[in-house]
Amino acid sequence: MSGGSKSTQKNLPKFYEEDLQQGLGFAQDVAAVGYTPYYGPDVAAFSPMQNASFDSTNMMAGAFNMPTADPSNYMPEPTTFANGIQGYSSAPLFNEAVDALATNRPGQKDYIDSFFVDPVTGAPGANQPSAQPVNYEMTAKRGK
Amino acid sequence: MAGAANPEMVQGGGSSIPAQMGYTPDLQQSPSASRYSQASTSMDPFQQASLAQAAAMSRVGQGLTGTAASGMANYQNPYEDQVVQAALRDVSNQAAMGMNQVNSQAHQARAFGGARHGIQGAETLKGFNQQALDTAARLRQQGFTTALGASQADMATQLGAAGQLAGLGQQAFNYGKDIQNQQMVQGALQQQLSQALIDAAKGQYEGYTGAPSNALQQIISALAGAPSSAGQLAGETEKYQPGLFNFLQVAASA
Repeated sequence: MSGGSKSTQKNLPKFYEEDLQQGLGFAQDVAAVGYTPYYGPDVAAFSPMQNASFDSTNMMAGAFNMPTADPSNYMPEPTTFANGIQGYSSAPLFNEAVDALATNRPGQKDYIDSFFVDPVTGAPGANQPSAQPVNYEMTAKRGK
Repeated sequence: MAGAANPEMVQGGGSSIPAQMGYTPDLQQSPSASRYSQASTSMDPFQQASLAQAAAMSRVGQGLTGTAASGMANYQNPYEDQVVQAALRDVSNQAAMGMNQVNSQAHQARAFGGARHGIQGAETLKGFNQQALDTAARLRQQGFTTALGASQADMATQLGAAGQLAGLGQQAFNYGKDIQNQQMVQGALQQQLSQALIDAAKGQYEGYTGAPSNALQQIISALAGAPSSAGQLAGETEKYQPGLFNFLQVAASA
């Protein structure tokens, strides 16, 4: 008995450690993108034939002195998008909801935004993943 | 929307009948046949149905309490004027001719104005009066029977027409309803096509904005499969930590 101790430590190959670190860096960058709203149409508008059908229903009711209803009082005018597609987008409702959050809970909204890049300027967020402190020991140089 | 598609439609309120129709069904009044025939050519199927139903209901409603007596005058008055009175005029003319003949005979017999002449004249007029009364009674009985039958036939015809009108109204309503349903079905197909285009575009957009995340997944998958091979290729570093005995051996050998 010599009184000493012997240990064996496995090391990752350098190429793999580089790939791993690259992957983590990429993940951090991707995670900073944040939410990308969709500003296109979500729901197709009523077709002209459907509107004609609504008119027919009104004519049916009116002929028998029953109440009628104007569909345009229920749904707003649809927006015409590319290729002449008419529909409705949820983007205005989304913007309104985000604005309401900024008005009522500005701190919480700013904190959420701080995890991601500025959606207008692209400036890094104060708390985005790549800005987090690193305390572990790196055994190989980061690949990027 | 509907208002834009048909600007002449009066929206809201109690009626949305297009203005160009120029007719508003009135359930309080019984539409006449001429009114119906004139209006029906330019009305939509629902207005035709409404008007036909109102007309049929009105006529059938009248039939619940009406009798043939009310329509008999339509036949009796002309009959009285054109048949009975004409027959009585004929009898009167014959009576006048008969009296002329009696007067002439009395004059030839130099008995004009005498008692015999008076008796003969009275008897002659009596016969013509009786003939006139019999003729009038017979003709009026025939006229009453004819007028009653004609009025009853009119009632039956009108009630039958009312039933047919109600059927036509139902038919018009079904035409309109079927067309309306067809418009709804075809319109839904058109809307589905637009929705499919929107969904396709939305899918492409999600593919674009999700491209970085998808790329990351590819990297993660590659890295997740590597450890086993990486472990095999991994180098080993042996570390020896000397103990107290080792230090004593070193000290003793010195």
